[in-house]
Amino acid sequence: MTCFNRRALIGCVAGTVLAATGLSVSAQDNEITITHYFTGELGLKALNEQIARFEEASGYVMRNSPVGHEDFKTDILVRASGNSLPDVFSYWAGARVQFVVDSGSLAPIDDMWDREGLDDVVAKSIADSATLYDGTRYLVPFNYHYAGMFYNTQVFADAGITNLPSTWDEFLEVAETLKNAGVAPIALGSKNRWPAQFWFDYLLLGTAGPDYRAALMNGTASYDDDEVARAMAMWKDLVDRGYFAPNANADTWTDASDKVHRGDAAMTLMGTWITGYWNDIGSVPGDDYAFFPFPVIDDSVPISVVGPVDGFVVSAHGNNPEGGKAFLAFMMSDTDVQLAWTNAVGAVSANVNVDPANYNDVTQSVIATIGASDNFAFNYDLATPPPVAEVGLSMFAEFMDDPSRVDAILDQAAADAASAFTQ
Amino acid sequence: MERENRFWRVVLLFLPLSVFAVFVVWPLFSSFWYSFTDWNGFNPDYAFVGLDNYARIWTDRLFYGAIINTAMWMVAAIVLPTLLGLALALLLDRQIRGARIFKTIFYLPICLSAIVVGQIWTWIYQPDWGLLNAIISFVAGEPFTHAWLARPGSALWSVIVAWSWQQTGLSMVIYLAGLTAIPSDLLEVCDIEGATPWQRIRRVVVPLLIPSTIVVIALSVINSLKGFDILYIMTGGGPFHSSDTLAMHMYNESFKKYLMGYGSAISVVLFLIALVIIGFYFRQLKRIDEIYG
Amino acid sequence: MRSMAERQAFPLTPWTAALIAMLIMLAVLFLTPTVGVLLSSIKTTRAIALGDLWSIPGELFLGNYAEVLSNPAVHRYFVNTVIVTVPATAASTALGVLAGYVFAKLPFRGASILFLAIVAGMFFPPQVILVPLFRLFNGVGLIDTLWPIFLVHTALGIPICTLLMRNFFATVPNALREAAILEGASEWQVLTRVAIPLALPALAVLATLQFTWIWNDFLWPLIFTQSDEKRTIMIGIVNLKGQYTVAWGVQGALSLIASLPTLVIFLFFQRYFIKGMTMGAVKG
Repeated sequence: MTCFNRRALIGCVAGTVLAATGLSVSAQDNEITITHYFTGELGLKALNEQIARFEEASGYVMRNSPVGHEDFKTDILVRASGNSLPDVFSYWAGARVQFVVDSGSLAPIDDMWDREGLDDVVAKSIADSATLYDGTRYLVPFNYHYAGMFYNTQVFADAGITNLPSTWDEFLEVAETLKNAGVAPIALGSKNRWPAQFWFDYLLLGTAGPDYRAALMNGTASYDDDEVARAMAMWKDLVDRGYFAPNANADTWTDASDKVHRGDAAMTLMGTWITGYWNDIGSVPGDDYAFFPFPVIDDSVPISVVGPVDGFVVSAHGNNPEGGKAFLAFMMSDTDVQLAWTNAVGAVSANVNVDPANYNDVTQSVIATIGASDNFAFNYDLATPPPVAEVGLSMFAEFMDDPSRVDAILDQAAADAASAFTQ
Repeated sequence: MERENRFWRVVLLFLPLSVFAVFVVWPLFSSFWYSFTDWNGFNPDYAFVGLDNYARIWTDRLFYGAIINTAMWMVAAIVLPTLLGLALALLLDRQIRGARIFKTIFYLPICLSAIVVGQIWTWIYQPDWGLLNAIISFVAGEPFTHAWLARPGSALWSVIVAWSWQQTGLSMVIYLAGLTAIPSDLLEVCDIEGATPWQRIRRVVVPLLIPSTIVVIALSVINSLKGFDILYIMTGGGPFHSSDTLAMHMYNESFKKYLMGYGSAISVVLFLIALVIIGFYFRQLKRIDEIYG
Repeated sequence: MRSMAERQAFPLTPWTAALIAMLIMLAVLFLTPTVGVLLSSIKTTRAIALGDLWSIPGELFLGNYAEVLSNPAVHRYFVNTVIVTVPATAASTALGVLAGYVFAKLPFRGASILFLAIVAGMFFPPQVILVPLFRLFNGVGLIDTLWPIFLVHTALGIPICTLLMRNFFATVPNALREAAILEGASEWQVLTRVAIPLALPALAVLATLQFTWIWNDFLWPLIFTQSDEKRTIMIGIVNLKGQYTVAWGVQGALSLIASLPTLVIFLFFQRYFIKGMTMGAVKG
């Protein structure tokens, strides 16, 4: 009896003493704190390697805090609310960074940008869209992704498809062929909502163009406009024709990718990170899978490509903004760093000096596609403010559940988005 | 004597009350303060907006859905594990060979973390190769399969089933404890009087288990509020908010839409609802105290 | 506790056979998801991606376990989790004993209101106090230590511990306390020499519950720790996954390993547990 008590007591005391040793928080001058969402084996390992190289080259010490992607959003907000943001953190370029900039939490990096001559390093389309907020630079784009149509080459070959579709009509034809061959033409995993946004983005950008879309994203246009209705009607048409594999809302993006990988479905509209996922489970780029750009719907509309840009930003109230900037410069300018990093996570480097020959075939043709486009746009949830993005993402999932209710869903979204813009 | 008692009350209560006040009561009230502001979490500057956030609740259609779901979740999370746990306890309250193994099997799910429980049940409900649909199409045929977590009608209930599976072991163990305390001569009297097993359970055993039930329900309510994790992992409140609970809604508004002020207002309402439930719970507790004194 | 007659009457009747058949069926049903976790832990991500989760594998693949067990970070996560869980379990139980004893044996005016206020502390989702607590601990420089996790779990455990201990101490006859006091014992001696030894079973109950909850929690470690050196096992499980990568097999393996301590605690305290609930709950 007393044994239990004593043991508990000893455990308590011992634990307290041990915990106390963790109390010594030292804030040295050459220390940089960093928080990022690159967890998982590949991402974390690759980043840790780059951090180690940076520490060796610069003499700084990095205190590294990786947080899982979903939990990162909570973590960073709680830390911001406590005025305790890390010196450097990863963030998604676009409306989310704008939101943090508006809150006055980020340090401008123009001085570092000019000193390092990053104008000559960062691809101009990315630099213009991802790094400048109200005319000031806040972010280095250390990699970006592109959403395209990734398909199972074997399934396409079995269905007798030799020419990849480049126009909408050709695309419909290919989908019909696949359907007749007994394969679900398109897999979509919209359980976590965001994978559906690429359909909305490409359909809207391809019909109404970048200017209208920008207006919708900043609240000057409305979700009950004809432009939106037309894009949604095309999407509905695809669903009605039975081109989408059923139960999109049951699947995550990896479930949908698995369907294509298994050959149960033929293609999926997804970001370049899918190459990292597929390579990891044993697919060979070029042999087992390849990609084609989203088909052109209207010749008169500029061609847009869609994707997210992962960036690092520097906190305005951190202990070591200079160290933070030094780390950003290192991550951005060094082509070896860029190459090692982007290859590990299946991304594309925004550094123009990285030789595309070092990428695999699929990534090389991705780069060619982006080069041939007129406009790089952020995907939906990075293009519009977070409260509005929540409205739209739920709208896409609701639409995939029952497309026949598209009109009612759009009316509701128009009202909800209008109220979300005022918040 | 009374002076001494007062001294000991202060001494003994000092530590628990101060820890509770600093780490629970104070944060709770300070969180309530934000409900009168338009704070977004990032910006150190915020404005006092009075009751605006509370006024908004009335126009928030997602809030109403969340209220209904919370009520369903609470009721189901209390009723299902309680009844199942009681049934298992009654079945196991015998000198059966291997009872200990059965108990351990039924308790096992509690040891698993929400992360892995959520993932495995997602795989059970997976429409194409999930276990549930495989069994259904084997027994009843393909047309009866269903995308359990993907449809607004079934998502919440599918999570509740997973949740009940995890929590049943806890109520079972508590009921087992309650059962061992029922005097065996009382049950022998039943046998002598010729009561059927059902009558024995219904008229003697279950009434004597009311005190255990009080504990089971308290634990169920606490745990159902902790049940956020498993819902978050399995549906995240989706599809399109159809399985949102108030806790999930508060989380979405605070951490996904960056509306800390509004999120706080929701949590205040949630807390008020909880107070009503506690009041009710205590009245029952008192009644039972009087009966069993 | 049951009579021998009942025990002997049982193994023969068809009712017993049906009962056992039913229990076995239920046990299989209950075990299935856990078996699913086990299956996922002995398969590669590729196999799971091919939709091959629910089949018995032809050969045993232990790569996930090898990967998890050989990872030094995992060892550190385990140590951290123990460092937080054991003291927080002990502290919350101890504080519950103190408060529960007063509410049961030294009632005073307003005691029931205070008791209600404390128990009300169980009934809100923890996300509500996330931000204020972060600001508090950040203000005193305790972020990225294990202290806040220990303190918050201790505080959040007070309501349930107080509730159960109050109910338990109420069953201890007042006469025992009065006799001890007449013999010159102080209140503290009554508590430590008379009440607590009697309460050992209830303490075992609380220890098991608190240990399991604190061990499996991942919200507080997520918010209060930042460097990998301070992370706990649940964060470790979550972080095996990346933004665009999955790690089902290793997650399953680590989850099963991580659930072992809570299972051991249950098995160890099981005998006390049954007796504890009996005395605490039934006469509460």
